[in-house]
Amino acid sequence: MITTPPVITTPPVTATPPALAIEGVRVRRGKRDVLRVSTLAVTEGETLAVLGPNGAGKSTLLLTAALLLPVTEGTVSLFGEAATRRHLVRMRRQTATVFQEPALLDMTVRRNLETALALHGVPRAERAPRTADWLERLGIAHLATAMPHTLSGGEARRVSLARAFAVRPRAIFLDEPFSALDLETRTELVGDLRALLREERTTALLVTHDHSEAQLLADRTAILIAGDVAQIGPTADLFERPASPAVAEFLGYTVVQAATLPPGLATTQPPSVAPPHATTQPSGLATTPPSDTVRRPPRDSPGGGLIGVPPSAVRLLDATSATSASEGYTAEVRAVQGALGQGRLLLALGEATIAAALPIEEIATRRLERGSVVRVTIDAARLVRWNAPA
Amino acid sequence: MDLILDGFGEAWRLLTTGENDIYGITLRTALITGTSTLVALLIGLPLGLALALTRFPGQRGLVALANAGTGIPPVVAGLLVAITLWRSGPLGALGLIYTPAAIVIAQALIATPIIVAITAAAVMALPPTLHLQVRAMGADQSQYLWLIGREARLPLLVAVMAGFGAVVSEVGASMMVGGNLSGETRVLTTAAVLEVSRGNFGGALALGFILLAFIAAIAAVLTTVQHRARRQ
Repeated sequence: MITTPPVITTPPVTATPPALAIEGVRVRRGKRDVLRVSTLAVTEGETLAVLGPNGAGKSTLLLTAALLLPVTEGTVSLFGEAATRRHLVRMRRQTATVFQEPALLDMTVRRNLETALALHGVPRAERAPRTADWLERLGIAHLATAMPHTLSGGEARRVSLARAFAVRPRAIFLDEPFSALDLETRTELVGDLRALLREERTTALLVTHDHSEAQLLADRTAILIAGDVAQIGPTADLFERPASPAVAEFLGYTVVQAATLPPGLATTQPPSVAPPHATTQPSGLATTPPSDTVRRPPRDSPGGGLIGVPPSAVRLLDATSATSASEGYTAEVRAVQGALGQGRLLLALGEATIAAALPIEEIATRRLERGSVVRVTIDAARLVRWNAPA
Repeated sequence: MDLILDGFGEAWRLLTTGENDIYGITLRTALITGTSTLVALLIGLPLGLALALTRFPGQRGLVALANAGTGIPPVVAGLLVAITLWRSGPLGALGLIYTPAAIVIAQALIATPIIVAITAAAVMALPPTLHLQVRAMGADQSQYLWLIGREARLPLLVAVMAGFGAVVSEVGASMMVGGNLSGETRVLTTAAVLEVSRGNFGGALALGFILLAFIAAIAAVLTTVQHRARRQ
């Protein structure tokens, strides 16, 4: 029987190239590859966050993307144009970069912005009004004549952001722009940056080690581990469906042998994990990165392999509740940890040790200590399972 | 004490009367030291920047060489220049020995390593992120050098002061390659040496005071520039 081949319909291809495209890039330092990215694309108007442990190559990736670090191998393209040594300066003038340190020039705040505008070829008559406008938008108009050494950390970051946005970059690169700031200042600045990115629709690559910054600011997030993109996808999906135990552990999951969990949990069928690399982009185009940049989790197999337990899926039951004795599992507190208002308990559950997230106030109210015995429930729908390697 | 007071008196008398070509010697000193400092700056500044901003094999060795060069004895610099400019030397045909130009060359040789070493150290001391930030702001090579130089302007002024200080106070090189010829190559330091050799300590002290006043005036100008630069 002759079967008619299916009619293949291809989705309409938009002519717009990605704002940033990294293809087969390798950066070598000494005898070691510090970055090895097969493919990474950021569409115009999108914010991509890059998360990863210390030394994963996040800043190297950002410098490479911002055309500030030559690649050993591969291509970096901005808005469809492959970077060449000859055109680096012109291409950089389409972008702006904000570093971890504000790196303000030793001149007044106003002149810092005007110098950036001058370097971008903005006519002299336009510089002063544009500078005034951006100082106003960032709430630092009163600092126009201040010198950088007189500014607080938060003020300096605002100047740095104003200087970057004032040049109206088509793409902005942000390298942990709010690190080493107090929580209050940081919270405000993240909010301001979020508003700016939305209003200006600037393409952004944000390197951060703060998960909440990625969740608040990024349309998509990439996890970089040991210089390689371990997973990339829409931010919310990525945090819910880590593709590998390494990614899960980085995201704060506790990864345990399925067999070490209480029987009820170990055999729980978590929902099928969607391919983590389905990177539906704002343009509507769905791309499938090459298999070497993502690790598709194996199909579920109850009873074996590894299970990832997100700390937020573990809920402590109220000790006074009438149902708590019959509901959930008994666990023993192994350690009490916490920072920046967020607490974490390490709990011995069955033969496994899992982490539970809860506010520090609750830890204090319940007087939880090492050795305390608690009842917990675990949202099985949020567990992620990986088969043990064959 | 009387000798010092006599020296003050003699300095005042020389300055008010202009005897012993004191105006000519002072003006010549200013011209020669100013020119040699300028030449050293023109050579030392780009060399210092290049040493700090480029990576190449042997860079550390060159930085060490520049650092060592800050201590070059004026007599050695003078000797090298004298051998080179001597009538039978490689550049003897130029006829520069015992001319102000010879002193300028010798003094530039003394000041250049100082300016190279301080410039390189000043630029290397800038935060690495600042270099990246200037590049990221879209600066081309000349804009980058200008902005980085501007960031290091205060230590660069120190380099100018140190270079000038070294040449204005040296005597060995000026004597060796200039010959201390009256009306031609006599500068404040060599004139003071001559007065001492004659036993005229009052005259020598007078020249010393004028030299100190000259250095203080230049230092005051440079310090004013430095303060203005800091405020900008």
